[in-house]
Amino acid sequence: MKSLSIRNLSKTYFDPYAGKHVTAVQDVSIEVPEGEFVSIVGPSGCGKTTILNMVAGFLPVSGGEIVVDGRAVSGPGPDRGVVFQSHALFPWKTVLENVAFGPKMRGVGPKEREAIARDYLALAGLSHAADRYPNELSGGMQQRVGVVRALANEPAVLLMDEPFASVDAQTRMTLQEELTRIWQERRPTIIFITHDVPEAVFLANRVVVLSKGRVLEEVEIDLPRPRSWETLIEDERFKTLSSRVLQLVRSA
Amino acid sequence: MSAALSVNPFLRLWSGYLRLVARRPALGQILPFVPLVALWAGVVEAGLFPRAFFPGPVDVVRSFVDLTWKGILPAYLEDSVVRLAVGAAAGILTGIPLGLLVGLNATAHRALWPILLFFQAIGDIAWLPLLIIWFGFGLETMTFVIVYTVLFPIVLNTVLGVRSIPLDMHRAAQSLGAPKWRIVAEVVIPGALPNIITGLRNGLGYGWRALIAAEMIVGTSGVGFMMFDARRAGSVVEILLGMIILGLLWYAVDALILAPLERATGRRWGLVAQ
Amino acid sequence: MSAVGNIGAGRSAASERVRAAFSFLLPLFVLLVVWEATVRIFDVHPGIFPGVGPVLRAGAESVANGTLFLHIAASFGRVLTGTTLAILVGVPLGILMGVSPGVSTVLTPLFRFFSVLAGIAWIPIATLWFGYGFGAITFVIFNAVFFVVAYNTLLGVSGIPHALRNAAWSLGADRKTMLFEVLLPGALPNIVTGIRTGLGFAWRGLIAAEMIATNMGLGYMLFLARDFYRTELIVFGMVVIGILWLLIDRLILAPLERRTIERWGLVR
Repeated sequence: MKSLSIRNLSKTYFDPYAGKHVTAVQDVSIEVPEGEFVSIVGPSGCGKTTILNMVAGFLPVSGGEIVVDGRAVSGPGPDRGVVFQSHALFPWKTVLENVAFGPKMRGVGPKEREAIARDYLALAGLSHAADRYPNELSGGMQQRVGVVRALANEPAVLLMDEPFASVDAQTRMTLQEELTRIWQERRPTIIFITHDVPEAVFLANRVVVLSKGRVLEEVEIDLPRPRSWETLIEDERFKTLSSRVLQLVRSA
Repeated sequence: MSAALSVNPFLRLWSGYLRLVARRPALGQILPFVPLVALWAGVVEAGLFPRAFFPGPVDVVRSFVDLTWKGILPAYLEDSVVRLAVGAAAGILTGIPLGLLVGLNATAHRALWPILLFFQAIGDIAWLPLLIIWFGFGLETMTFVIVYTVLFPIVLNTVLGVRSIPLDMHRAAQSLGAPKWRIVAEVVIPGALPNIITGLRNGLGYGWRALIAAEMIVGTSGVGFMMFDARRAGSVVEILLGMIILGLLWYAVDALILAPLERATGRRWGLVAQ
Repeated sequence: MSAVGNIGAGRSAASERVRAAFSFLLPLFVLLVVWEATVRIFDVHPGIFPGVGPVLRAGAESVANGTLFLHIAASFGRVLTGTTLAILVGVPLGILMGVSPGVSTVLTPLFRFFSVLAGIAWIPIATLWFGYGFGAITFVIFNAVFFVVAYNTLLGVSGIPHALRNAAWSLGADRKTMLFEVLLPGALPNIVTGIRTGLGFAWRGLIAAEMIATNMGLGYMLFLARDFYRTELIVFGMVVIGILWLLIDRLILAPLERRTIERWGLVR
């Protein structure tokens, strides 16, 4: 896993319906050193998903640059794994085939990529679901597979776009704890987009608060690991940090 | 892509088109035909094919005006539309009750479902020879074919709709004190309505084609007859005119009858037909 | 509500299928009995409607002298040629249109118009352009399937969630993989539905066109029988047409559609 720099990134696009140019992101710089977990929070429309889509390469940048592992990037690529809010699993592929898709694209042989996929499924406790279709899984399991699929491609950085927004509260907490566990085990570099402040604080080393397409402030999260909701829910430091971030978001 | 703020002229044009279409959706359905008709006219003017074999839009419009002036076209159009309307009405009036019966009654379902599937599979047009023997070349034959064609999609979809209503809804109505016939009226029919309308759409789609075929084979009037008569005379213009009229007529049926019905039921209630 | 028969847990899948086939065929058998009884009791003239016996005899005769198979082969050859061509042209075109939202904005209304006209309405002009026979009829079938398949493919491709395409890009897919592993499977349920609908139109178009424009095929067989007032041959032909379509639809198209849609949980 490698580092990611976002330098003076901006995005203006031509809105064909409005007939004019719109600025969505303006001069945003974010440094994510190797192995760090950064959350980006902000109200809807603040440009956080636009930034992620540019980093992922789904949208062309209007200005600035994105550097992964020392190289400027343009267009989507396997060095940046993406976890989508809508899980985006291929409905016509089994769980195993979904996870093996990335290695297959890299030209890994059938035997080997199945081994890789099974290995990663085991990491998330999903071995039993390998031969099922995404449609046959619960929402929480679908999201787990989405995370595993991105990880199995061994990306330099992992980009997560509100991945837990559409699962129930109980499952979300479990998924968050699992994600911190996996992060501690493998130390991937992660950018995590969310509008849920406690989630951002719980997961990250650093929270970037965004407002109207600009970085409002960055907050260091110096909470000890391993983290679990059981201990943090009563933790004073967690409460202070959360309310500080919340105030920033609400002022945004 | 560059960050330059200048926009190329094609993009401007395109954005203008999108805005126009967003404001007047009807134009989005019409404007795409402009280049197509232009292309058609261009090919004809270029003289790639003999004009009698492949006439242009101007010829078709001229023949439209001519046939309308003589009163032939309006009369044929009326014949076709009346036949379709009568057939559709008869199909609906028998199809929905039959569908409700087959959908609600297990015994009726077991006994009639295979028979319905089989008769649907035979297909309307295959009845024509037998019908000609029975009724001759006339109105009865055509009416039978259209009713037959419209009937089956409506029955089959009504059954589907009735059987897709959740059991809990029956139970809810029962526990709120509704007697059996009220459950049918207040729960079953509205619940099956989106499917019934889908059936009506399919039925009219098939019935429409059957009508054209019947008019070609047994007809003495109607748009299908006009096209086939033109074919015998080798008049491509009138064939093309007939095709365009058939297309437009279907648009009218869709826009004036089917689409409003669908909007009023399925989409409004968040039920998705089909 | 309708009581679904209690399915014994111990019964094997095979005997379950036999049971299902039996309960499907029983009403049809009853229909056969009612038909024969009606003809006998009311002493229906065979020129109006024949009994079961004459129909079976006419069927046996046409099987024995080989004409039935010639007609079926002719009809199937046309359907197969027209449908294959239509799929080969319609699916790639539909995908091409579906990938670009701009192109589909412009082309969708055109395709709606032409899929409304598809099939029978083309018979007069097809017979003028191609003459009576194989060419005209195959064209009508091609046309009935082509527009519906292309239109449904377009709908299918543009209905694939954008996140799925992004996911494939970000996992390192190239254009070829995108086509074969994302766009085609994603649009497959719609493509199958399109083929099913299109074939439904094509089958009717075939019968109609064969009545008008050829001297071979099932439609022609019926129409020829009408010339000689041979109702028993007409009824036999109708039964053959019904059975053939049921077989095509229930054994090939419907299972294909169900498999893709239900297993994948795709909602159209």
